[in-house]
Amino acid sequence: MEKESRPSWEQPAQFVLACVSYAVGLGNVWRFPYLCQMHGGGGFLIPYLIMLVLEGVPLFYMELAVGQKMRLGSIGAWSAISPYLGGVGIASVVASIYLCLYYNVINAWSFWYLFHSFQEVLPWAECPLNSNHTGYLDECRKATATQYFFYRETLNITSAISDGGGVHVGQALCLLLAWMVVYLCIIRGIASTGKVVYFTATFPYLVLFVYLIRGLTLHGALNGLKYMFTPKLEQLANPTTWINAATQIFYSLGLGFGSLIAFASYNHHNNNFERQAIAVSLINSSTSIFACIVTFSIYGFKATLNYESCLERVKLLLLNTFSLAEDTINVDNITYWITELNKTHPNQFADLLPKLESCDLEAELDTAVEGTGLAFIVYTEAIKNMPLPQLWSVLYFFMLLLLGLGSMLGNVTAVTTPLRDLRFVTHYLSNETTNGLVCLFCLVLGLGFTTRSGNYWLTMFNDYGATFALLLIVLIEIISVCYIYGLEQFAKDIEDMIGHRPNWYWKIVWAIVSPLIIIMLFIFYIINYIMGGTPTYQAWDKDLGQSVTTPYPPYAQAFIILLLVSSIICIPLSALYTYCNRYTDKTDTLPK
Amino acid sequence: MFPRLHFAVCFTAVLGPTLVHTLCPDTADGYKVRLSIKTALGDDAYKWDESEMFLFRATLAFAMRKYNQKPYEVSDVLVCNETQRVSFWFVVTDPENTSELISGKDVERAVRISRNRINNAFLLTDETLEFLNIPPTLAVPAESGTPPWLIVFGVVIGVVGVGIIALLISSFIQKRRKKGVTEGEEEDCEEEACDKGNGVSHPVEEGADGVNRGFVGDIPFTKL
Repeated sequence: MEKESRPSWEQPAQFVLACVSYAVGLGNVWRFPYLCQMHGGGGFLIPYLIMLVLEGVPLFYMELAVGQKMRLGSIGAWSAISPYLGGVGIASVVASIYLCLYYNVINAWSFWYLFHSFQEVLPWAECPLNSNHTGYLDECRKATATQYFFYRETLNITSAISDGGGVHVGQALCLLLAWMVVYLCIIRGIASTGKVVYFTATFPYLVLFVYLIRGLTLHGALNGLKYMFTPKLEQLANPTTWINAATQIFYSLGLGFGSLIAFASYNHHNNNFERQAIAVSLINSSTSIFACIVTFSIYGFKATLNYESCLERVKLLLLNTFSLAEDTINVDNITYWITELNKTHPNQFADLLPKLESCDLEAELDTAVEGTGLAFIVYTEAIKNMPLPQLWSVLYFFMLLLLGLGSMLGNVTAVTTPLRDLRFVTHYLSNETTNGLVCLFCLVLGLGFTTRSGNYWLTMFNDYGATFALLLIVLIEIISVCYIYGLEQFAKDIEDMIGHRPNWYWKIVWAIVSPLIIIMLFIFYIINYIMGGTPTYQAWDKDLGQSVTTPYPPYAQAFIILLLVSSIICIPLSALYTYCNRYTDKTDTLPK
Repeated sequence: MFPRLHFAVCFTAVLGPTLVHTLCPDTADGYKVRLSIKTALGDDAYKWDESEMFLFRATLAFAMRKYNQKPYEVSDVLVCNETQRVSFWFVVTDPENTSELISGKDVERAVRISRNRINNAFLLTDETLEFLNIPPTLAVPAESGTPPWLIVFGVVIGVVGVGIIALLISSFIQKRRKKGVTEGEEEDCEEEACDKGNGVSHPVEEGADGVNRGFVGDIPFTKL
């Protein structure tokens, strides 16, 4: 008989906020606006919301149900469903470990930028001077000051993944701090986590709201918003739009990592998770849309700024070449003057032509950026042009930090909960020690991402570490719940917990629709990977001052395959192991 | 003698303007200057006129004096090819020998040394008062001893470290206390809600008949 019963959340609100904090992460801010832009602005909401209803909410519901029923972490929960499925839980833990390793490095970058915001002149606002002080550094002139700060000062990136480079001490220090903060938040398990999520789940909304007001009042913000809200409905005919919508919902909710199962396992038996599942999924999607509005105001501001600077440069070029008085040309009559000067001085104009830029607002708005490029380069570019940039910078990076930290809490809990389920761990090690060892392990391995080529490895982990494995894990989860465990039994368990059976809609979606969608995503992923040829990455070329598409060297490609396979292989291996155990048990008990 | 002097004066009077014509513009030793007054000052922009040009020549003579201490005069700075843009060429003649030009390199060095003074005389900056082909000397930003980010970092990591140590010590103390208490009285902990370090855990209450009383409310027992 167990003396110590399972810990639980002090309030059901803590559970809901923990799920919100986990699901609402950096992807809502830097991936969704990109997809919106790529797939026709407002029109993208249609496939997004459809996929939310058909795929997002049902799978979320399912994971919470499994966790709350089994009251164990992912390994224990799936072993309880069927002894051969323990591997699914192990695969989830492996995927979570990969995520923990690199995700906190992004938090380290947020810390770095946050600390660097406490200066009179933001370090990414101006290029540093060259050695004889006659101008700016070459690399910085060719790129922009914000790109230079990110690639050179923050990462000190090498030109290829094979160039190792040493550890960037500043990054290593920030990573240490990031892991210490995570440890502080999970030190006593959900007793600590439950209190922290009150803050990590709510404060980002405050910042987003403030940014919304700031963003909407920026000059040129309306250009961005108009661009976003004019739907290009022809994009709906493109299958990639639907695939991307499904993928975004899938990853945005954090399914398959085991975090949701872990959080739900600490619930009381009768907690009404059905309403909570719907609430959290809706909150997550609304946050994405909200962040999209903020991002597009910022985009509009930045694009308008670039467009107007471009016009200024053209005007200056014309004034200087033809020595006209300063106030003859302004932004309104610039096109008139171009045609005038072409007529009156055709030869001189012809010489000028290669240097003459064509300024296009649409083209500026069309440049879509996602990921770290959006968060650390585009946003910082916009912030440095706002009045009182230090304040906005601090607010913004603090928000990024909280979003990332909230997701980290879920990821680490997904690893520590199955560990704490193991009898011998609980017997020999205290909670604080287990959590500390997990954090230390991830810190030490994560230092590899703070080397000069670390960003390339991080991108590799991000693209291949969990993406494929999760699709397979969730597919096996839903199929085993519906067909191995049995949909009827599952419905009965839910009735036991919340008092009523799930209605026909849930059953149809679980049994047929969601698995079909995931199989479709799965096939698409495999086709993309095979047809994509050699996998490539974006290497920063410091002579050109921009990123260059480079193929991965052979050992990196082998490592990619290792990443893809390593979490999935746990599933068949574990099933085989259980089978062998059972077989030897059976032969042992045969009458002699 | 007198006619010769007269002739000499006439000669220089005629030769003077042509001297300017031939000496300026000189691509080897002269420089083109471009001013963008309206861009820099907007509504407060002053009009570029003869007096401003005089100030420019005087400032340049000052810069040359600062550079090699020769007695340069305003007349040693020759200006030509003025445009509406407000751009012009200038050359500097040697005060001891007005038909010779000061070399471009010397002019460049002189301008770079006094660039700040020249800019300030016109309320302009390196970008709005351009000397083409003379690179500006940019001001080195003030560098502090410790980078400011380290200070903030130090504070934050200190606070987090203290927090972790405090929590660890309090857990340790509670465990010690619990161990001391439960060595003799093992039952007590099961009655109350113990903080077992994982969260608040409520032990399952079991009555004498093994029924889980956690979910059963207070049911008044009927007397048989």
